[in-house]
Amino acid sequence: MSSGQWIANQVLNGLVEGLVVALVALAITLVYAIARFSNAATGDYLTFGAYVTKGAATWTGSLAAGFVAGMVATALLSVFFYGWVFRRLLQRSHVIALVASIGVAFFIRHTMTLFTGHEPFVFDVPIVRAWNINGLLLQPTDVAVAVAGVASLGLVFALLHFTALGRHMRAVADNVDLARSSGIDTDRVMIALWLLIGAIAAIAGTLVGLKSVIHPEMGWDLLLPGFAAAILGGFASPIGAVVGGLVIGLTHELAAPFVGYSYKLAVSFLIILAFLLWRPGGLFGRVEEVR
Amino acid sequence: MPLLEVGPLSGGYGDADVFTDVSFSLGVGEIVTLAGTNGSGKSSLVKAILGLLPRTRGSVRFDGAEIAGWSVGERARRGIGYVPQVANVFPSLTVHENLQVIGVDDQRQRIAETYAAFPALEARKRNRAGSLSGGERQQLAIARVLISRPRLIILDEPTANLSPLLVNQVFDIIQRLPSPGVGVLLVEQRAREALAISARGIIMEAGRVCAAGPARELLADGDLARRFLGQYA
Ligand SMILES: Nc1ncnc2c1ncn2[C@@H]1O[C@H](COP(=O)(O)OP(=O)(O)OP(=O)(O)O)[C@@H](O)[C@H]1O
Ligand SMILES: [Mg+2]
Repeated sequence: MSSGQWIANQVLNGLVEGLVVALVALAITLVYAIARFSNAATGDYLTFGAYVTKGAATWTGSLAAGFVAGMVATALLSVFFYGWVFRRLLQRSHVIALVASIGVAFFIRHTMTLFTGHEPFVFDVPIVRAWNINGLLLQPTDVAVAVAGVASLGLVFALLHFTALGRHMRAVADNVDLARSSGIDTDRVMIALWLLIGAIAAIAGTLVGLKSVIHPEMGWDLLLPGFAAAILGGFASPIGAVVGGLVIGLTHELAAPFVGYSYKLAVSFLIILAFLLWRPGGLFGRVEEVR
Repeated sequence: MPLLEVGPLSGGYGDADVFTDVSFSLGVGEIVTLAGTNGSGKSSLVKAILGLLPRTRGSVRFDGAEIAGWSVGERARRGIGYVPQVANVFPSLTVHENLQVIGVDDQRQRIAETYAAFPALEARKRNRAGSLSGGERQQLAIARVLISRPRLIILDEPTANLSPLLVNQVFDIIQRLPSPGVGVLLVEQRAREALAISARGIIMEAGRVCAAGPARELLADGDLARRFLGQYA
């Protein structure tokens, strides 16, 4: 394999991984912009979604049915923790909400492993050989993951920009008091937000599961790259989160052979540090409007 | 029956009240000006009427009904429109989206009417509201609140930071707002101009009403004018 082919393959892998990171970063960013805290439970929503999808897919024999079940269950889980924990804590302090979200993350993971154990699961998808296009190795599952990732991101952006609910979400992100006094039902917006976050997390979880394996740490492991991507994107910009996700994915794959595969997470951490220190406004460097 | 009836109302942030025992009423078809020195509690009083700030005592009746149990959103949906003093548009939404945020049945129709009344906004409908000039922003804020056809319109210093020409334009718009079913509460530093288009006025100092009455009488009171309305005539 020539070095050109090697780079092309790593870029391809990076973009696919980046799409998954983008979904995580988008979920983190939307919560930060609209509910105003960093939700460390995002990763474990993802894990939960992957396990439910796997369980339901096995039970029904249909991956599509499992996918839908995973999304619905995770959306409900997400709304449940909003109503039970975050809604009340957010009235007090955003730092407390962040700390509580770490607690929620561990709670979900440990409760789940009581039933699932620690052994990894895989989706029963037919193993197909990679297509070889002039040395570029294209895995059919990667193509499916990429298509699903792009479609999901497209749907979320369509929701945000072309529906009344999306406009209301962005209005609440801009100014919650003005939103309320404009007649927007902010309770409804919050419930919709958390349903959406759960669905996005479940999609990301299923895609990770399709690419590799389902295991209890899968979501937690994606939390750092997700935050890195969100910070790269400026932390309050959904588009920024997606671009940030792709950049993180690419950086991981291109750096992995040099730093070692088990250390690629450290790359995310370095990126977070560098940006927080030198470019806190993110890649695009635009300081968001004062709220 | 007055459209808005504020009982002896008190409220504030945390422990301390920033306004105390404020009473006034406002009828349909009239503008009532609320004036007073900086920090006298005007914006806080207005926020308490809207439910954005808790009240510690007193009542607020809208159309005869006590509204303590209504959420902020409910007050808006039942006909109380509010243009805050600062941050009165959604900066990351486009001008058009700012208008669309107000949920009404015949939205298209009403937005079209709005553009007819505010041509400057139509020219910038695809721009983010955060990129508007102060005057355009103020027009958008007022246009936005009118879309829901509120029965009570509360404007908090709508002419702040505007050039003299725009001030006159905004006063023109406000002057035309009252109609048989609609009343306006106008918080203004330019108290003389505001009183000139108002039926009545209330003047606050240090959280209390220090003068209230027909606008003409307030304007004619030399001592009051010197203290609160500014020297120019
Ligand atoms: N968010 C807040 N938290 C605590 N105190 C506040 C807050 N906003 C206003 N205050 C205090 O409440 C008092 C009244 O402020 P308010 O904004 O109601 O005055 P105002 O009459 O509207 O003044 P201006 O003419 O400058 O707009 C002030 O002493 C102010 O310091
Ligand atoms: Mg004020």
